Amino acid sequence: MAVRMDVTPALRCRGLRRRYGDLIAVDGVSFEIALGETYGLLGPNGAGKTTVISMVAGVLRADAGEVSVAGQPMTPRTPAVKARIGYVPQDVALYPDLSGRENLRFFARLYGLSRAEARSRVAEVLETIGLAERARDPVGEYSGGMKRRLNIGVGLLHQPRLLILDEPTVGVDPQSRNAILASVEALATGGMAVLYTTHYMEEAQRLCDRVGVIDNGRLVAEGTVRELTALVGEHDRVVLAADGDLPAAAEKLRTVAGVREVSVGAGRLELLCGDGRAALPEILACLASAGVAVRSVELREPDLEAVFLHLTGKSLRD
Amino acid sequence: MKALAIAAVNVRRTLRERTSLFFIVLFPMLLILVLGMAFGGTFEPRVGIAAPAREPLAQELVERLRAADGIDVRVHEREDEVVAAVERGDLEAGLVVPGGYDAAVTGQGRAIVRYVVRPGIQGQQVGSVVTAVVDEEAGRLRAARVASAETGLPFDVALGRVDGVAASAPTVTVAVRTAGEADFPENLGRFDLMASSQLLLFIFLTSLTGASALIETRRLGVTRRMLATPVRAGTVVLGEALGRFAVAVLQGVIIMSGAALVFGVDWGAPLPAVLLMVAFALLASGAGLLMGAVARTSEQAVAVGVLLGMAFGALGGAMMPLELFSRTMRAVAHLTPHAWAVDGYAELVRRGGGLLDVLPQIGVLIAGAAALLALASWRLHRVLAN
Repeated sequence: MAVRMDVTPALRCRGLRRRYGDLIAVDGVSFEIALGETYGLLGPNGAGKTTVISMVAGVLRADAGEVSVAGQPMTPRTPAVKARIGYVPQDVALYPDLSGRENLRFFARLYGLSRAEARSRVAEVLETIGLAERARDPVGEYSGGMKRRLNIGVGLLHQPRLLILDEPTVGVDPQSRNAILASVEALATGGMAVLYTTHYMEEAQRLCDRVGVIDNGRLVAEGTVRELTALVGEHDRVVLAADGDLPAAAEKLRTVAGVREVSVGAGRLELLCGDGRAALPEILACLASAGVAVRSVELREPDLEAVFLHLTGKSLRD
Repeated sequence: MKALAIAAVNVRRTLRERTSLFFIVLFPMLLILVLGMAFGGTFEPRVGIAAPAREPLAQELVERLRAADGIDVRVHEREDEVVAAVERGDLEAGLVVPGGYDAAVTGQGRAIVRYVVRPGIQGQQVGSVVTAVVDEEAGRLRAARVASAETGLPFDVALGRVDGVAASAPTVTVAVRTAGEADFPENLGRFDLMASSQLLLFIFLTSLTGASALIETRRLGVTRRMLATPVRAGTVVLGEALGRFAVAVLQGVIIMSGAALVFGVDWGAPLPAVLLMVAFALLASGAGLLMGAVARTSEQAVAVGVLLGMAFGALGGAMMPLELFSRTMRAVAHLTPHAWAVDGYAELVRRGGGLLDVLPQIGVLIAGAAALLALASWRLHRVLAN
């Protein structure tokens, strides 16, 4: 993924705060996204991702804090700033009784495109999202994946500099999900800044140049995936199913270079290593010399799930 | 322009839905037809007569009744047919001339004709017409009998003489002079009265129930998405209001032109009639927008909309003429916009009024529309801000 750091960030949020009655949904969230960068907001349901995104998109007023897009502050008096943003909400927000083309034309007009511009952009977007053949059909007759693609298409109509995607793959079949992720990758490569929320750590790891981990309305950590995993001191885990004198084998394994910790379970050994792949040949040789028969080996590299667990004490799917 | 785009989508979605087309156009036209056929036009009570066919004087009575104004005479062969038709309501009244009528009136006997009627004021009103004709015929026959007795002429010759003298004899007639104007003029078309009532009833109903589309747009997240585009909340509210207004005016134009073309409805002077409809449509769209801002679900909007639409229609004279209301109820009725619009159309259709005559009604409707639109906009702004 190409990361081009511009002087003026595509998006800058400072101290965003939003309260619903007694509940503080977002509490002092700040982050920046550069042009061409894909930034992921990762957190479980109810963490405050959608609230942050709604404030950034200008559909929800912040109690405190600032949002600026390409250096221009976003306020209720400056709706023109929204022309730089493409917003793709979590739920499919389209008229089901209008066709795909009619929906796109309607939003193109709202984004300020002239009739001629709207016509050509709608045709282009329909091609991009692969719905040109079904453009005349009512959206209500589309499959879930097609609706999602059209939902994203609306956000691309006016060729924004910043695209905001709020969990765009929720409830989507694997094939459509892959197509959506590939589209986002292509957009970022094309120079668009992308703000992407998800509670799927695989998506964040695949797409995002940087990830902000959000929990209970607070941004608890931020950085590249490698920075985050390093930040919490995570290591590779090697899990072995084996038969033999496992406690004795564990003692021997603790002397292998790179192995930090060994624990023994029923028919199972679990090792914590700095670099699991590098240490694996020596581990297997050590076990063979100890007369232990290995039935299976599993290497688990550190991931954002582990990071989140470490930072918040909760799973992303909680 | 963006508000127009929002309004255009509203209109397109409404027109695309078949059920709304039924309620916007077909149902009101159907009601105008049915109600006009049932209650509209000048009404002439039907009076059935059974009289002996071979008795000339009895047939003469039938002919005199036929010639009378204000009743529609239908001849039956037997008494039981007449009684049954009155019972069924096929006739407003019946008259039975007994067999031997001619012998009784030419001789020394006494003929009794029976008047058959259902209880009620209508029977009495028809009875006065029938009695007047029968009394006049009885007087003619009595005069002929006296002349026959005094001169020895045969009865039929004496009757001829009486008819000859009657033409030149002094008469006393009651001259009728009308004061003021009829509530329902005789030249009022069969569908004229019902057409304006149905127009108002359905414009208001459609606007209130159409609020469900506004709620649906919010529920779908489309309104929120509109706010993510470079569009102010005020533009979204204006677009939604324009959409509701356009649908209401379109419905009004279709009903007015359709009723005029299909049923020959006279709406009075065209310009004030259209302005009155537009003012009412503006108020109705304000009410619809307010409903859309207040109701939580589409189902709630439709249920409350139908209830309010029917209640306002009934109270405001869109189901029963305001002239039939008591003075107090007529005053209460003017708390509804319908009553003002009904007054306006009464002025145009029944009294031949012009623009100046309906300006007060148009003014009241526009003031009400302004208040409702302001309230709805304020409420919608608050809803959208959250």
